[in-house]
Amino acid sequence: MGDIRQSLLPRDVLSAAKELLYHLDIYICNLLQSGRQPPQVDSKTLELVEEFIFHSPNDRNTPARRMSALQELQLLEIMCSCFQEQSRDTVRQLMFSALFNLQGNQADESRMSLLGKLVSMAVAVGRVPILECAATWLQRTHRVYCVRLAQVLVDDYCGMVPGSVSTLQNIHSASPRFCCQFITAVTMLYDLSSEDLTPPLELLQMIVSWIQDDPRLVLITFLNTPLSGSQPITSLDVTPLGGLVRWCIKAPLTYRRDKKPPLTNGSSDSVVEAGPLFSALHLSVLQVFMLLPTILNEKGLYGRLTLLQMESLAALTSDLSRLLDQADKHTHKSSADTHTSSQLALDRLAQALQVAMASGALLCSREDLRAICSRLPHNNLLQLVLSGPVMYYNNIHTPPLAFSPHAAHLPITTHPAHPTHPTHPTHSALPTHPAQTTITSHSSSHNQYPGAVSEKVQRSPRSESSIVAGTFWHST
Amino acid sequence: MLTDRAMSVVFDGSPLKAMQSSLSVTAQTVLSTQELSQEIKSFINGVDAIQGRKLSVREHARCAVRLLRSVPACREAVLEHLRGVYDEHVSAFLHHLETDGSTSSGVNANLEDIIQEVHGVLSEFIHLNPRAWAPLVSAWAVDLLGQLSSKHAGRRVAPHSSSLNELLQLWMSCAATRSLMEAYSQCLAAMLAWCPDACVDALLDTSVQHSPHFDWVVAHIGSAFPGTIISRVLACGLKDFCSHGAKELVAVGEKGSRVPKIGSVVGILGHLAAHHSDSIRKELLRMFQESLSPSSPMSPTSSATSWESSPQLRRAAVPFLLQLAAMSPNLFGAVSAELVELLRPPVLLQLQALLQGLPREQLDSMLSLAVHLISQSPSGGARVLRFLADTATPASVIISGPTPSPHEGVREGCDRLLQMLLMHLHKLVFNRSEGADVSPHNMASSQPQRVVPFLQELQSLVGQLCAETLRLERKRHLWLHQLLCLLSVYGGPSVATETLCQLFTQARNPEELALAWQLHTTLSSCMAGLVPAAIARCVAQIHTHTLGPRQLRQLLLNLAAAIQSQDEERREAAGAQSSMAVQVGAAVSGHLHDFGPLLLHGDPAVSHAAVHLLSRSPLPLTFTPSHLLLLSRAAVTHFFLTLRRRGESGKESRDAGQADEAVSCSVLLLSRFAAYSSLTLKTVLQQLVEGALHKGNADLFGGKIADMSGAPLPFPSASPDLGASLLDINCQFGTTVNFSGSVWSVFHAGVIGKGLKARTTQQQPDPAGVIQNIQTLLAVVIQCCSSSGLNGSINGSRSSSEADEPPPINAEAAKVVAVTLVENVCPDVANGELSWPPEEHARTTVERDIHIRRCFEAHPVLFLLLQVVAAGRPALCYCSAVLRGLLATLLAHWEASREALSTDSPWHLQVTCLLVSCMGEGQLLPPVLANVHEAFPHLTPFEVRLLLLAVWEYVRANGPMPQKFVFNSEKGVFCRDFSRDGDVARYVTPIHSVLHKNIDRLGHLCWRFQL
Repeated sequence: MGDIRQSLLPRDVLSAAKELLYHLDIYICNLLQSGRQPPQVDSKTLELVEEFIFHSPNDRNTPARRMSALQELQLLEIMCSCFQEQSRDTVRQLMFSALFNLQGNQADESRMSLLGKLVSMAVAVGRVPILECAATWLQRTHRVYCVRLAQVLVDDYCGMVPGSVSTLQNIHSASPRFCCQFITAVTMLYDLSSEDLTPPLELLQMIVSWIQDDPRLVLITFLNTPLSGSQPITSLDVTPLGGLVRWCIKAPLTYRRDKKPPLTNGSSDSVVEAGPLFSALHLSVLQVFMLLPTILNEKGLYGRLTLLQMESLAALTSDLSRLLDQADKHTHKSSADTHTSSQLALDRLAQALQVAMASGALLCSREDLRAICSRLPHNNLLQLVLSGPVMYYNNIHTPPLAFSPHAAHLPITTHPAHPTHPTHPTHSALPTHPAQTTITSHSSSHNQYPGAVSEKVQRSPRSESSIVAGTFWHST
Repeated sequence: MLTDRAMSVVFDGSPLKAMQSSLSVTAQTVLSTQELSQEIKSFINGVDAIQGRKLSVREHARCAVRLLRSVPACREAVLEHLRGVYDEHVSAFLHHLETDGSTSSGVNANLEDIIQEVHGVLSEFIHLNPRAWAPLVSAWAVDLLGQLSSKHAGRRVAPHSSSLNELLQLWMSCAATRSLMEAYSQCLAAMLAWCPDACVDALLDTSVQHSPHFDWVVAHIGSAFPGTIISRVLACGLKDFCSHGAKELVAVGEKGSRVPKIGSVVGILGHLAAHHSDSIRKELLRMFQESLSPSSPMSPTSSATSWESSPQLRRAAVPFLLQLAAMSPNLFGAVSAELVELLRPPVLLQLQALLQGLPREQLDSMLSLAVHLISQSPSGGARVLRFLADTATPASVIISGPTPSPHEGVREGCDRLLQMLLMHLHKLVFNRSEGADVSPHNMASSQPQRVVPFLQELQSLVGQLCAETLRLERKRHLWLHQLLCLLSVYGGPSVATETLCQLFTQARNPEELALAWQLHTTLSSCMAGLVPAAIARCVAQIHTHTLGPRQLRQLLLNLAAAIQSQDEERREAAGAQSSMAVQVGAAVSGHLHDFGPLLLHGDPAVSHAAVHLLSRSPLPLTFTPSHLLLLSRAAVTHFFLTLRRRGESGKESRDAGQADEAVSCSVLLLSRFAAYSSLTLKTVLQQLVEGALHKGNADLFGGKIADMSGAPLPFPSASPDLGASLLDINCQFGTTVNFSGSVWSVFHAGVIGKGLKARTTQQQPDPAGVIQNIQTLLAVVIQCCSSSGLNGSINGSRSSSEADEPPPINAEAAKVVAVTLVENVCPDVANGELSWPPEEHARTTVERDIHIRRCFEAHPVLFLLLQVVAAGRPALCYCSAVLRGLLATLLAHWEASREALSTDSPWHLQVTCLLVSCMGEGQLLPPVLANVHEAFPHLTPFEVRLLLLAVWEYVRANGPMPQKFVFNSEKGVFCRDFSRDGDVARYVTPIHSVLHKNIDRLGHLCWRFQL
């Protein structure tokens, strides 16, 4: 394929690129037909792509050409239709990776910028194949670049063009895979460590509504990916769960830190409060944890795969203790408020730990947990979670699972509804889990646990605490 | 028309809000993905994707705007497309202007609403999310503005890029550029909050790229955001300057064009200087100060910009500011004045600490830059100079300057700077004058002489500079003296003259005066006629009364010293200085008449100085008579003044010494004048005599003022007692007195019936003083008379050198004295002939005679003058009338005297003796007769009268005629040969009788009366 270079050279920038794309398509089809395994695009072709599409400066003494923005748009449009029209998935994938897989050279910058535009455009005009390819790309690429792509999308749709969030929202239905990877990247991007790294409210709202609509969304990549050792270690987590947990736990502290969001995107959005959103998100995350045991059991991975990494948890707890220290230092006046939010954060931590452990998403001993949580201030629920049920029950031999047979037949509809949350999915859609059914019966009888009732101000406190209570018994 | 068009497009708040509301409606109608991809296709191809027809510019633009709203990925393409739309509008607009609106304006109007729409969308975006949009739109708008303004710069209607205001007006009336400008302003306003550097950077870059055509944008933006733009522009320039490093600094001579940003910084600040020069100055100074102040990260001011926190940038700030100043005289002018104020010792120390870190060659180039700047500074040069001199002057125990002595390193730096400055100026000045010298005729007019603003300014401050120089402070006066030289050369003769004149005026001692010599030595090589011009200027100063008494005195003394040095130098080796002294002498002598009036200056010091000068200055070869008269009159008057002052200041020894010196100076002056020419001699003598007899001066010589006229002064206190009217008195006269004589007879003793007239009692001045004064007067008169002025000897000192034999009194001079004396003593000229009448006829002139006697009574000095006259034979002849009158009264006295001895009326005796001896001396009497006065004290009044009668008879018979005298060339005097006259024996008889009668007492005198 290297011989077409001479024919491409005299063309103008756009038509050369167009022609190259055409030749690339043919080349990849031939490659697949040759049946060579694995199909590998040779380096000559990659160089051509870099020269004529990304216009990286090369050492062949040809002046580096640049496309005007209009030509670039035309190229993007051509790419869109090219991917759209290609019916074979493998060809598409190979072509996408030939174009956009990072090579660690100078062309990567323009590659990233063109990819950002392409994906952004695909979101706008609803090109599902491209989004699918991008999802795969997000799985394979180093997380730093994934974060950059996410950043482009967030900038484009949540910042630059007002009223375009709805377009982005649609990708949930168009390509759940991409959506899941996008969430992972976004939680990676916004780690709430500074003002700039707090997610825009629009984005938060969108993600919350996505997960509420379909909690399985966050597990799609996990479900669809054959778990082999092929995942590069530097790529994104397989689920956004870790990032979401971090958001929920840190949010009470960071969002309280600046009462007023720095830049409100339009007056209509500013009325939305972040607190309830995170509360809802927390609930959704816990619900996703609850889904896990079944899935893990189906895959035969229960107890063998940890979805929450111990290291990230350790980082989270140390962050948390630092934030709590800061909160103590800086706010003297509204100490009651501070106390409330700190306790909320700790409560959420305890709840997440408990549920994750119970659902098999977190595999560790209580000793480990005690170690990483040792520097945190006192919280009753956390204390309870860390120490286990032993402290509260004299009879340590009582098997907690003994309740489950009774509860198995309780209909899920008896679970109290969430009237303040109209978009909450009906629980019938959820797969039934034995542990969950124990909640209602015991939550009322065990409300002497302080942490369990601490979140009364939240929109769906009972469901969260009930999950926790349920999993408590389950995990023991 | 322009304004009409401008008015038709309004981009302020109200339409924007309308836009927003319409937008919020359209935004809700979200296009489906299908429609969007159609839109993109249409946009790319410029063809309606559904209907397949070509889109108009307007529709295309609308499509672009829709994409901008809905597809973020199209953002850049859309903006790029809009460039074309804006460009088209500008073209149409300019075309419309060029064709004076004759073509259809439909296209124009169409595009205007599109542009309005785009502007609305953009400004809405910026408003909603400034962080994302402002950098984008600002970069786009600035770039497009630059492109548009340089692309259309050549159009016919476009004014030349130098006329900024017209450009501004034109572009602001165009909807497209106006909209861009407003969008940019909006972005800038938003961005200033968090990343001001970026947007100003873009502005600067574009400004560099589209250099003169883009200036209007910068000017507009700058005036909209003066406070921030100025500091940002400076900060950007500094950063750029710093990143370009020191190599540009070395290449300063090449106008610094290799630093692109600094050029536009200068340009922008230059534009802003028109309205915001104050804030520019503040910013520049602030930059300077902050760059020096030790880094304090918590300082509140440093939060705005970041350059203060980088030590490298701080180090570069000073060179940067220098460079800026070098490139823009405006900026430099704004800063220089206050900068000097800032340079207090602590700041200097910081500066030094800062500069120590720089490499050697960079320091050198900075230094030369600073020197260049100073020499080009149009104002404040004096302050800079004073600062430099103050700082560079070494600390001393003796001289404590106005500021505490700075650190030694700082001092050395300033010293070096100052010397380089002088060297630089030297180069400038001399190259310049050389260029003018090469072809003075054709080049001087065509090629304007290079102006050195620093010197230009200092020209007016020559006086102060001279004063500072003359303080002779260590090194300072060397510098300043050098500077004065340069100034003089630079400013040409006028400044040189002024300088020299100032030095003459302000120098206070020989050392200081030597500076004038030095200056003259340097300048004389390139300037002719300097000294005369300087002296003329000094004289002009005197005439305009611009000098105070002290300065005046100093000037005169200095000139005198200058001339005096001429004499000294002449004795030693004649050098350059002496030639200067000669010149000064010559120049002063040309202006003697101008100095003359100063002799009578109210301040004794001044008049003293003037007499000093005049007595030392050489006299010119020619003098107009009027000047001579003026001068001599002034000199004489001054003489009497000094005498009076000596009398008054007699108490304190110090003053007395001064007064003595003044008198001697005055005497010297008079004698020199008298020696100058016959005219002056006459005038001087005449004035002297008149002055001595003048009632104002009479008391100096023991005279009595009241008796001068012979009539009593009416005493206001006494006359009321009399209670008598003139009529009454006359009636009384008429009844009681028998008028035997003439009707003119008046009784001088008083009014009859009222007793003797009250004598005016007058305190006598102390006799010693009177004697001294008389001595002085006589000395002057004799010196004048004996100086043989008729020969016109200029050198007045020669006569004194032949000390032993006093030179004979000059006859002519004595005649002058005589005539003057007669005129003054005897105003009545009736019977004024020289020959004497018979003694009886004296009764007809009794009135006049009494007057004469009273005169002599009142002015003892007259006798002495008579003696002088007598010595100058035959001058006494002219006093004949006076002598006659005096003798007549004496005869009357002795006749009437009933005393036993002549010694009983001592005054008359003395007068008689003097008179006779005088006549003898004057050879009016032969020695036999003249000797009679020796006998008088031993005789009775009657005998005295007898002898006097004999004298009278002799004189009557042998009239006192000058022609009877013949010149004795051997002795150099006139002598009378009595043998030609009649027999003396006849007149000696009474003498012999008296001798016989009193032989017991007069025996020893007999031999005196031998024939």
